[in-house]
Order: sequence, then structure tokens, then C-alpha cells
Amino acid sequence: MSVRDDIADQLGVDLEGFDPIRVVLYGTLVGLVAFYLSPLESGLMTALKTEAEFATSPPFVPPTADGFTLEPFSVAIDTLASAILNSIMLAVPATILSALLGSFAAYGLTNFEWRGQLGVVTLFIAGIFIPYQAVLIPLSRLWAIVNTKELLAPILDITLFSVQVPVLGTVELATHPHYASIINLIITHAAYGIPITTLLFRSYYKKLSTEMLEAARLDGASAFTVYRRIVLPLSTPMFAVTLIYQFTQIWNDLLFALVIIPSGSGPAAVATIALNELTGGIIQTFNTQMAGAFVAALPTLLVYILFGDKFAKGVAGEA
Amino acid sequence: MSLNTLKRLLGRDGSGGSGTGPLPDDIASLRGGIQSAVSSLRESEAVRSAPFWLPPFLLMGFFVYGAIGWNVIISFTDFAGLQLPTYDPTAFDLEMYRRALSDGQFWLATRNTFVLLVSFTGLSLAGGLGLAILVDRGIRFENWFRTIYLLPFSLSFVVTAVFWRWMYNFDSGVINVFLRGIGLDFLASKWLAGGVELGALSAIPLVPETLQFKLFAVIFALLWQFSGYAMVVYLAGLRAIPDDQYEAARVDGASTVRMYRRVILPQLRASTVSAAVVLMVFALKAFDFLYVMFGNNPGPTADILSTMMYRQAFAANEWAYGSAIAVVLFLVALAVVAPYLYGEYRRGEL
Amino acid sequence: MADLTLDHVSKFFDDDGSKVVAVDDASVTIEDGEFLVLVGPSGCGKSTTLRMIAGLETVSEGQIRLGDDRMDNKPPRDRDIAMVFQSYALYPHMSVRGNMRFGLEESTDMADGEIDSLVEETAEMLGIDDLLGRKPGELSGGQQQRVALGRAIVRDPEVFLMDEPLSNLDAKLRSQMRTELQRLQEDLGVTTVYVTHDQTEAMTMGDRIAILNDGELQQVATPLEAYHRPANRFVAGFIGEPSMNFFQMEVHGDTLADDSFTYSLSPESEDAVSGSEHVTLGIRPEDVELVADGSADHTYETTVDVVEPMGNENAVYLDFGDESRFVATVGGMRRVEAGETVYAHIPEDAVHLFDASSGDALKNRSLESVELAEPEPQA
Repeated sequence: MSVRDDIADQLGVDLEGFDPIRVVLYGTLVGLVAFYLSPLESGLMTALKTEAEFATSPPFVPPTADGFTLEPFSVAIDTLASAILNSIMLAVPATILSALLGSFAAYGLTNFEWRGQLGVVTLFIAGIFIPYQAVLIPLSRLWAIVNTKELLAPILDITLFSVQVPVLGTVELATHPHYASIINLIITHAAYGIPITTLLFRSYYKKLSTEMLEAARLDGASAFTVYRRIVLPLSTPMFAVTLIYQFTQIWNDLLFALVIIPSGSGPAAVATIALNELTGGIIQTFNTQMAGAFVAALPTLLVYILFGDKFAKGVAGEA
Repeated sequence: MSLNTLKRLLGRDGSGGSGTGPLPDDIASLRGGIQSAVSSLRESEAVRSAPFWLPPFLLMGFFVYGAIGWNVIISFTDFAGLQLPTYDPTAFDLEMYRRALSDGQFWLATRNTFVLLVSFTGLSLAGGLGLAILVDRGIRFENWFRTIYLLPFSLSFVVTAVFWRWMYNFDSGVINVFLRGIGLDFLASKWLAGGVELGALSAIPLVPETLQFKLFAVIFALLWQFSGYAMVVYLAGLRAIPDDQYEAARVDGASTVRMYRRVILPQLRASTVSAAVVLMVFALKAFDFLYVMFGNNPGPTADILSTMMYRQAFAANEWAYGSAIAVVLFLVALAVVAPYLYGEYRRGEL
Repeated sequence: MADLTLDHVSKFFDDDGSKVVAVDDASVTIEDGEFLVLVGPSGCGKSTTLRMIAGLETVSEGQIRLGDDRMDNKPPRDRDIAMVFQSYALYPHMSVRGNMRFGLEESTDMADGEIDSLVEETAEMLGIDDLLGRKPGELSGGQQQRVALGRAIVRDPEVFLMDEPLSNLDAKLRSQMRTELQRLQEDLGVTTVYVTHDQTEAMTMGDRIAILNDGELQQVATPLEAYHRPANRFVAGFIGEPSMNFFQMEVHGDTLADDSFTYSLSPESEDAVSGSEHVTLGIRPEDVELVADGSADHTYETTVDVVEPMGNENAVYLDFGDESRFVATVGGMRRVEAGETVYAHIPEDAVHLFDASSGDALKNRSLESVELAEPEPQA
């Protein structure tokens, strides 16, 4: 750090002493903050305004006492609630599944040595860069052919999906036709998440000490035991990175949901679809739209604000 | 042969394990051969590792490569409307590709795809590098600045599109309100519908008479969302350069600008390549954003291959035609990614 | 308990289609309870040999046996061996206790209490019983070293394999651990194969040492035998610090000659070199004597080039007046100045003669003045 400190010294990190370069630097940084936050700030302000207010006042100005309302948020929450529940039911299992499978694959492809391994690795990594359009039609065909509801009915119909809801009594979620779509989406997202999670875990497992894994092998541990007792406990930091990254990706997806959920709407809609429908109307209710955007983005925003550093590590592809 | 004999031949019963037993030499060596073949198979790294990578590989391989193959096959058929595709190899032809080549919409979408790909990637890299250098100047509250610049990247295309549709609103969107506020009324425009006359330039093929703002409005919004990502990658690259090099450049009397140009930037090649590849892939996936902003038909000036593919397949039910466009899109992605992967492979970094 | 035998063991690697020989037809029997040091320069195949014994590398040709049991086709966990690694290879997320328990949990059916008492007993023996609750990251290098040893010892294996276990320690701790390790091995009486590139370690620790070069076993012998009766030029040069001096000589009947000097041979030596035209004459630095005058046989006038004082002795670099230099070690109290002219005596009974092309020893020094600790036949 010493050198950068030196540079900082030269540029006059001491803000009290007037240093034009330093002033310009901080001015630029703050200006950029305004640029990056302005859509969010004006969106939030608009979401807190009545229709009359947002049409007449500048979008980034806070609402006046008369023009303040929380109604857009309550409308947005009402409209999006079930979709958000669907998104959670989708994103949580799909995230865990793709992280686990990626971790398995990375272990098998990193901590063993065999011929042809690099070819398999290349196929995994190339999978990251596939434009999803290239698989959309087969996906829609596949999920039209495979009847997940029927296949899983014997397992899921009775127990897993019936829940007690106050007021409504017992709700048989399994009898809703939409759970099959959600399961289809979970499998799809888990499968397409494997390449990136494998890459992330592989970059981490490459740094594990070979001697340590050999020691475990000599200690009598099988390949599976080495994974369970050594590799898995040591991958906790990478699981955090991968889970956060995958959760964001899956939560934010629109395309697969459009294609896999029949007719793109109804009880199976996920948050992105519901938000698009909320905002796609002819009446330009920007306040409700903005509130909806915040509600739909809330989980990923929370994850980002709470675990921003891990998220950054994930996107930079490092452990 | 009884089970016990077999066991003894395989040397599993312990008593036959001494190797000096009464077995004739050839059987003993045969036994050794079988034993070592069996155990070397069991112990081979490929076999030991397979339970871990094979199931994910099959799942991923089916969905990624199986689906791509299926898509290619569909593109050879005449699959359209409600009729199911007929997978009859004798009826396979390249009709859908010929159709694309003679389709004006396809060429416009291809042009727009490349404009988006190149300008979005270039601008995001430049913006990200600028941000990274600013953030790397030993500033206070570095974490705060970095977090804010990367914040849009955590949002979905859908949310970004919703925000920017409001930003670009002609009457009360932030951009026009801001421009009018600082007295630049004449710049306030219909960003999502307007354009400027190009005059004589439109004589060039594929250059329209009016340059619509639409695509550039899209690129600008995406720049807002993704420049933070490029920044993070460049920051990692900058932090990997040893401090000595800054020091050496200082001692050599290089100015800050020269130091970055001559010493630092050349070492960011790897960061540039990996960020560029990822950004291009995002650009190819920008479908969600356009779909939310403009529906499934963004019009000739902003239509890209991915929106066109979706429209043809899922709105017009021209499944085979959509597949053919998807194959083209896949080949574009391959052209971007294959050299990158090959380079990584050559440098042993896969 | 049984002998560990390497029977014509070879290891080939495939390097882009061309066959690379890492270990070439190595045969050696390590006796029950013996401490054998595998020594050689880096890349000589010593680690590969050790890893073949461990089962971490497959054997391309030949057999490895423990007693009469063939073990080269068994998976590592069935070989009854324990290994200590250069990097210690401790499990960073487990406590010292967890590290030491791991092998017993995975390879035996012992009850928890039994494992615990074994771990505690071993930890006490190594003086790390107060560290059992700590994680490896909280330990010093020396303590980690002991945990790595403890992890191997607690399993009570037939064979210990050690891959440069001391090379990450600082010099002082290393010599201390050397003694301790040796004592421990003696107490436990477990057959040990120890790999090192450091000839001092090899000399001081091994019951016998096996010197490897380019994948080939050069000599298996007691340290003193390897020192005094090297099988070839490589061993002669590798063992001993500073290295043996070598001179390339032409054979002229009863005299050897090179550009700088001639060396007359006794009839016995003449016999030894009679089959060769070119030989290498070797003399250990401590056998070169600096004498007052040049009248005696095998005494040459030289100029002192550099003196490296080491306290107990001085390494004196001598010069025949041309480019050829050689080293003599003399007592630390002896004053020699650079530039001085001195007479170097190269006594014939201390001279080694090697065939120049094959490097094989033709004649080793006479051992009348040296006592060898029970020399053993070469395997």
C-alpha cells in the first residue's frame, strides 16, 4: 500500500490543504455517484408521489406533504406478492442446486488428474457463454413433452405442498397447476447455472493444497469422504460467493420464465414477469411502476447491500 | 468355477495373498494381472472422479449441448404454427437460412446486434477503466464509491428497463427535466422515438435516413448497468500489479498519465479480454431489457437478433425460422468466445 | 513387520507422446525398522519413487512388496503407510486433535475413546499435547511440523514415508528436528523412507542412503560407505560439502596428466586404470594437505586464489597458475592469505579414480586410516 499512499500524498490526501487535482478527483467521483444513483433516487421519489404530484414536479425532487403517498407501494406489493413468493420458491432451490452441482463438478475436474479432463472442462466453461436464444425452442418443446405435474404427482401431491394458511385454511399448493412450471424452471436454472458455478469453484479448488488432499487419501479417506470432510468445509467462502451470484442471476431472469411458464402469466408468474405486466399497461402510472420495480428488486438489492464484497468477488471471477 | 476359487484367484480371501502359495506361476501371474487391472481401473483418477463431475456434466450437457443440437435440427425443418415438427432427415433443408438471408429485417437486426455489441462493449470497458483508475487513486470511502458504482449490476434487466423508461420520458423524465433545467431545452428529445436526420450519409448501405436515438438510449442505459462490472474486473487487475512498478515508474520520473499509459495499461490486457468477453455475452443476452422497454418488437432501429428470434418463434409461431436465427446468434457468440477460450487453453488457464 | 522391497521399479510419464523415464529400474530392499534416505538433486525421481510407494503414482514396471505382500496394486489406504509432506498438508479447518484423529477415523473401526487416548498419548510424546485444541493456522512452523509427524505416528503404520519434511523449517530448528526425528524413529522402530535433496540430512539421518540421479539408482550404502567408497563420480561429487575436487586426466602408463600437472601412480592404481584412456581423478578437499615445500611426491606449487574462513576451518581455493582451480580445507587456525604461493600435497591413498566416460569408480581411496561402520553389500 505504501506506494499508493505516496501517490495519495503527492496528490494531497489532506483535504484541508487546497489541491486542485484532489478537488477535481472527488468532484468527479461525487458526480458519478449522482449519475449512478439518479435513476434509483428519482424512481424512489416518484414511487412516493401521488399521480398529480409526479406529473407536475421534477422527478428527483422529494414529494411535498400533499403529494406524499404510500399507495403505489401497497398496490405494487398486492400485485407482486404471489409472484415474489414464486420467485423465492424458484430461486432458493435452483441456487442451492446449481451451487452444489458446480462444486461437485469442480472437485471432480480439479482435484483429480486424468487424460481428456481439459476437454470436459472446456465444455463446461463454454456453457457460460451460450446465448439462451439458442436453446429456447428446444426448452419450450421439452417442457411441453415432459409432464412434470404427472411425474411428480405421487410424491408431491399430498404432503409437501399443502400448507396451513390462516383465514384460508389448508391450501393444496400441489393441486395448483403452476407448481410444475416452477419445478421445470428450477431444473432449467440449475442446469444452466452449472457452468458458471463450476468455473467459480474450480478457480477456488485449484488453490487447495494437493498434498493436503493426498494426505487425506493416505489417511484412508475415499474420494467422497475427502469431499465431505475436507473440500466441502473449506469451500464455505466460495459457497457464499456462488450462492449470492446465482441467486441474483436467477431472481433477475425473465427469458426462461417467459418461455417455460405457460402463457407467461397467471399464478405461476415470477417477479420479473409480474413486474413487466404491471408496467406494461397503457396507463402510465409511473409511481406504481417505480414502486413495483423496488419491490421486485428488493431481495437482490438487500443481498447486494449486505454481501456486496462477496458479490464483487463473484463477478470478477475470483475467490 | 466356484465363488471361492474366483475369490482366491482375485486374491481377496487373504490367505492366498502371500504370493508364495502352491499356485502355478502362470496362474499366479494371471491373478496378479487381473488384480492389478481391476484395482487400477478402480483406482484410476478418471473413474474415481466420475461420480462428481459426470452427473452435473450430463445435466448441463443435455440442457446446453443437447438443446443446441436440437435447435439446429429444428432449424432444418419447416416447424411452424401449431403443427409439431417432423424430424425426417430427408426433408431437412436450409430453407430457413435462405429465408433469413433474403429478409431485410434479419439484416437490420444483425446490424443492430453488431452496433450494440461493439459500442456497448467498448464504452463499458472505457467507462469501467476510468472508474477503476479513479477508485484506485487512494481515495477515502473507496468501498462506498465502489459499492455505488456496482449497484446497478445487481438489478435485473427488467428493473433497469422500468427505471430508464421513466428516465427517458419526454415530459417529466429525469434527462429532459435536467436538460431543460440547465437551459439546454433544445437537447431535450424523444429519446425512445426521435432521431436526427443524417442527410448525405444515408447514401451508405444499411445507414438509415434518420438516426434513431432508440438503440443509443438502450446502450446508454446498459452502460449505466454494466460499467461497474468492468470497473470491478479492472480493479482486480490493477491491484494485481505489484506496488514496485508504480514506485519504479515514479523513480523514473514518469508523470501519472504516462505511468498509466506506459506501465499500467499494457498489463491490463488480460482484464480487458475477460471483461470484454463477458460484456459481449451480456450484450447478446440484452433481450430482457429490450423486451420490457419495447415489447417483442422494438422496431427496425433497435431490433436485435435475440428479440427477432423470440418474436418469430414465440409470437409468430415461426419455430423453424426462429431456430435458424438462434443458430446465427449462437455462431456470433461462438466467434466471440472461441478465440478467448482457445487463448485461455493455450496459456493453461482453463 | 516386514521388509519393504522395490523390485525393478520403473515409472514412465507420457509427455506429449514422448516417453519420459522418471524412475529407471530401481531395486532396493529396506529392512524392517531401517531408516533409508533417498537423496538426489531435484528432478532425480526420488519423490516419484516415494509417491509410488505411497500409491499416489502408479508403478509402470516392477513390483513393490511389503514382506511377501505385493502392494503396488493396492489403493493407498490399504498399504498401511503414513506420509509426512513437505508442506505438512494439515487440514486447516480441523483442530490439531481433529487432524490427528482423521486417519484413525477413516482407516480403522476404533471407538472414539480409543482414538482419543491414542491421539493424546502421541501428542504427549511429541510435546504438543497442549496444542490439541488449536487450528494449524495458529501454530508456528515447527509446531505444524510436529503435528504432521504426530498424524503419521498415531496411525502406527508399517512404513513411514517422509517427503522433505524439514525443508520448510529454519536452519536451527531443522538441525534440532533432525536429531529428534532420528531418535523418534529409533524408538518406534518403524521402517522409514525419507526423501531429501540435502546431502547433510542424508548423511546424518540415514541408516543407509540411496542416491538417485536422472531416475537411476546410483548407490545404496551406509553414509560413510557412500562418502568413502562412492560407486561412481556422481555419488562422489554429490556427497560431501564442499564437493570432491575432480581433474580430467589422460592415462600415460603409470602417469596421469592434464594441462596443469602430472600425477604418478602406484602399481596398484596403474592396474585399476589400465583399461581406460581418460580418467577423472578425485580428491576430497580435506585430504589435500598444504605443506611447506614441494619436494615430496604428489606435491604441487599453487597460488591461493580465495580463502573462505568458516571458523572451524578454512576453504582455500587453489590455482595451478592457469584456469583450473581446486579446494582444500585446512584448520581454522591456519593462516593462509590470498595471493600466497603454497604447496598442495595430494596423497595417493586418498585419491579416487573414475572412468571418464562411464563415471564408474575404478579405485576408491584406501581405508586403512578410516573405520567403516559395518559396510553392507550393495543391493
